[in-house]
Order: sequence, then structure tokens, then C-alpha cells
Amino acid sequence: MTRRTRVVLGIAGGILVVGLGAGLVTAYFGGFQGLILIGTNGPDELAYVPADARVVAFVNVREVMDSDLRKALNAVQRRGPRDASEWERATGLDLERDIDHVVAASSGQQRQPPLVLARGRFDAVRLEGFVRERRGRVETYRGKRVLVAEDGRMGVGLLEPDLVAAGDPASIRAALDVASGGATSVRSNGDLMRQVREAHAGSAWAVARFDALASDGRMPPAVAQRLPAITWLSATARVNGGLDASIRAETRDETAARDLREIVQGFVALARMQTGAASGDLSGALDTVQISGAGKTVSVAMNVPLALIGRLAAMRPPGPRRPAELPAPPAPPAPPAPPSAP
Amino acid sequence: MTDATIEPAPAPRPSLPVWSGVGRVFELALGQMLWSRRTLFMLLVVLGPVLLALVARAAQAGGIVPLRINGSRVAGLDAFGLLIWVVFLRFAVPVLGIFYGTGLIADEVEDRTLTYLFTRPIRRGAVLVGKYLAYLVCTGAVVLPSVVLVYFLLVPLGEVAGSVVWFAADLALLALGLAVYGAVFALAGALFRRPLLAGLVWVFGWEPLATALPGYARQLTVAYHLQSLVPHAMPDSGVMTLLTSVFADTPSAPVSAAWLVVLLGLALVLAVRAVETREYVLDQ
Repeated sequence: MTRRTRVVLGIAGGILVVGLGAGLVTAYFGGFQGLILIGTNGPDELAYVPADARVVAFVNVREVMDSDLRKALNAVQRRGPRDASEWERATGLDLERDIDHVVAASSGQQRQPPLVLARGRFDAVRLEGFVRERRGRVETYRGKRVLVAEDGRMGVGLLEPDLVAAGDPASIRAALDVASGGATSVRSNGDLMRQVREAHAGSAWAVARFDALASDGRMPPAVAQRLPAITWLSATARVNGGLDASIRAETRDETAARDLREIVQGFVALARMQTGAASGDLSGALDTVQISGAGKTVSVAMNVPLALIGRLAAMRPPGPRRPAELPAPPAPPAPPAPPSAP
Repeated sequence: MTDATIEPAPAPRPSLPVWSGVGRVFELALGQMLWSRRTLFMLLVVLGPVLLALVARAAQAGGIVPLRINGSRVAGLDAFGLLIWVVFLRFAVPVLGIFYGTGLIADEVEDRTLTYLFTRPIRRGAVLVGKYLAYLVCTGAVVLPSVVLVYFLLVPLGEVAGSVVWFAADLALLALGLAVYGAVFALAGALFRRPLLAGLVWVFGWEPLATALPGYARQLTVAYHLQSLVPHAMPDSGVMTLLTSVFADTPSAPVSAAWLVVLLGLALVLAVRAVETREYVLDQ
């Protein structure tokens, strides 16, 4: 073997050994020290979410409201300035303007509303007044005000000057327990946080244990049973000049992932064949669907440009309009004039 | 060009121990293969993805989304998976298997140099095995490092920890693919007069068709078993994707690996047997 042959083989072997070695070292430290060093740790509001949460969602309301997508949809629907509702007038809270972002969490139990944590600008005095006016009560729990509706089923917790929690009063108290160290937060839930770190990149995202979705009765049992063994589902959306959306499923094993990919690929291919001739716009949207994934993951990504969203929204049949948009009803015909006295 | 006759090969003369002969041929063949025009072609094939990954990394550093397919943003790991499927598994590995595998014996016949090898005190089978091992080392030394470079250029550091197992699986899979395709086409080179053409028809005609259709024909392809071991999602290719989904009957990883090992062993044994027993008549 000549010297130059040995040199080439040495370089090739070196690249292989260094590459694999670097990957394994990264996996070792990443796996055992947690990926917190590398990835983000999700929004700050997760400090209020209990460890038993099985569904967590985030929406950057400000980004969505200020996006070109929102403006385009408003233009298509010809929405003018809204009239403030009674609730807005009473609380001084405009959901479109005063909320920056929202985190929602649920333990996946039936009939329990999710805990919603909203960061923004709130008038606590008006909120409290609104609840009191409707015979609600105000209590203090762990030094924070919790406003409870008259029927006791819904409440609002004033957690921080710019953070409120809405939901079942018991959930709000549990959130305060978590924040004060009386219970563990979702950040100690390694599996869920791994999903959150991977999803926490878009304008909106949600991660859920699949059994939490399948067990609450919203998914038909026949569908849930026939799907391959999915453990986690996550969805991410970016609204930046259009809509970049992706759904990611993690399955129990690689065989289930392969089965799921084949099912999804089959459905997408069928949908493309169905819509190919019927509608150019819908077909264009389907062309952007990309199925990917590795190992136990299956990802479906889609990009819908702004122009296409506008066209698709314009295709929607007109729904019932709000009273303010309806033309005034025609005046009833005037009653016949009484016959004049002779 | 080979021309087989029904006459058996002459009785073997006293020779070196088999593995010693394999080593000698391996050493000689490795130098020849590594500095041949085929290796230049192979470099061109595998440097394409490396350059692509380099451009993608530069674009990403400049804040540009490096890869979009039909407008959809493709993540780094998915782009790597796509290259593994499209460039390496469906193209580079079978093509290198054809070009090198069929040439192991056929080239010596065509260059009329087979006589020099067969008149050495080495068993004929050792010649084939030595050249086959040289092929494995030569292709592995070019293809696998390029995959390493592509991986580290495309996949963000934060995703390395979660994907290194798939990366290692990709490397192992490509090495296995080179080994199996090489053995199958070494057999073709030992048996047929025009192995290159037959190999191209097999890889780009028969295998895609058989893997998309129902039935047992797919069991007799290398691609079917190799593809079922890929940890990345299969790229969407329209009607073929639909057919594959409809007739999906993906074997488990151990079954596929076992099939590939059996195919590799069988092809190599048959190739050695063919070389040992056939009479090669060189064109004058």
C-alpha cells in the first residue's frame, strides 16, 4: 500500500471516528445533563403549571394580531373596527390589544376546563369590580387575589401585575401552590419539557400526550384504536407572511412511526389526487405538505402563502353576519289611515 | 468481456493460504481502485451533497431559510434524512455497487489482465474476495466521511444529541448497502457478459417497480429490505408513494437485516464459486 493511499484512508477514518465520537459525546452530555443547556426552557408561565399537566399550549397573541395573516383575513372578511362588548367595557380589557401571550395547560381530565395564563396589561380593580357586581367573591390564596364567579365554577387569579390565570378555581389555587414551591411544576416533567423545547419556536404551539386527547372522548374510539401507538403529539405554527405549520407525532416504537408515516403519506397522496383537478388553490396548499421524521417521530409540515390564504378565505361561503353588519330591517308598513269622518 | 465455456477450470495448483492471498490481492486492488477514474466519479457523486450542505449552512448563518420544498421549510435533520434517501440510498449506493461490483472480475477480463492474477499461486476465489474487500474499504472511505460532513453541516448542534443514534444507523445502513449491492453485482460480473447494463436495469428498473407492487417479488430486491431499515421518513414521490402506502407491508428491522445478510453471503459465495469454476476466455 502506498503512502498516499494510507494518508487518504487515515483522513477518511479520522473523519468517521471524530464525527461519531463528537455525536456520542454530545448525546452523552445532552442525555444526562438535560438539554436545558442547549434548548430553551419554554415560557416563564410554565412555573405556574403543575407537573401532572398532559396538554400545554402557547399562543403569542401579539405576534398573531400584528401579523400580515391577520390583516389579510380581516381584509377578506371586510371587518371594520369592532364595537366594544359589554364585557370589554366593564373590565377595560380588549383581548386583541391587551394580551401579549397566553399559556394554557390541562391535565387531560374530562369536564375540567384548562388553566389559562395570560400575560398582558390588566386593570385589576375593574376586573375585581366586574366579579363583585355579578355576586362573585374575592378570596386571597397564598397572598394573591382569586376572583371566583357566583357559581364557583370559574375564577380569575391575579398572579402578577401583568399575569392572570383563568379557569377552575381549584386549578388556580394549584397554580399558586406550584409557584410558591408547595408543589412541583411541569418543568420537572422531563418527557413533556422535551416536547416543549422542541415545539417552542413558533407563534403558537401545543404539545399533548396522545392518551390525554384520546381519553377525553373527543376522538372517536374507532379512530383512536386504529391509529398506530402514538405517545406525543405537538403542533407548531408560525405566522410570518403566511402560515408555516407543522404537526409532529412521537410513537411508541419505530415500526409504529413507519406505519403512521405510510398512513399519512397515503392520505396526502389521495387528497392530492382528489383535489388535483377540482381546485387549483386547494391543490396548491396540498403541494406544500411535506412528510418527514426519523426514528420514532413523524412530522407533517405545511406552508400556506398569504395570497393563498386570502383566496381560500374568500372561497368560504358567507356565514351569518353580526348584528352591527346587518342592514337595518325595512320599516314596517304604516298602518292604514283610519277612515276620515264624513 | 467474458465468455464462459462448459469446460471446468484447471485443477488448483499449490497456493498461498487463502487469507494470505486475499490480503495480497486486497492491498494491490485497494491502491488501484482508490486512484482510478471510478473514484473520481464517486467523489463527484458524494461531494454534491457536501457542497449543498455547505451552502445551506452558509445560508442559515445569513438568516435565510436554506431549504424549502414547495414552500415548506425543511428542518436540518429532515434535510439530512432527505439526502440520505435521495442521494445516498437511492442513487450513490446502488450506482457505486454496480460500477465497482461488476468491474471486480469483468474489468480484468476486459483489460486482459485476468491471466496475471489467475496464474499466481492464489486461489481464484481469494482474488474475488480480496478485490471485494478493497471495494468495500475504497467506497466506505469516500462515502461515509461525506455523510459525516453532511450531517454536521445540516443538523444544528442542539439536535445532535437526539439524532446521533439515527446518524450512526445511517452510517451502518449505507455500509451494509454498499456491501450487499457490491456482492450482488460482483456475482453479476462473474456470471454475465454485460453486467453493467444488467445492473443498471436491475437498480433503476426492476427494484423501484418491485418494491411498489404487492406480492413476494419485493423480497428479492435489495432496496426493499434496505429501505425498511432507514430511520428517516421516505420522501414523497407522488404516485409511487401512494402505491407504496397502499401495498405497505414493511418487514421488521431484524427481518430486513437478516435478509440482507443472507443475500450478501449467498451472493458472495455464488460469486466465488462462479469465479473458481468458470473458464474465462479473453478476446484477442
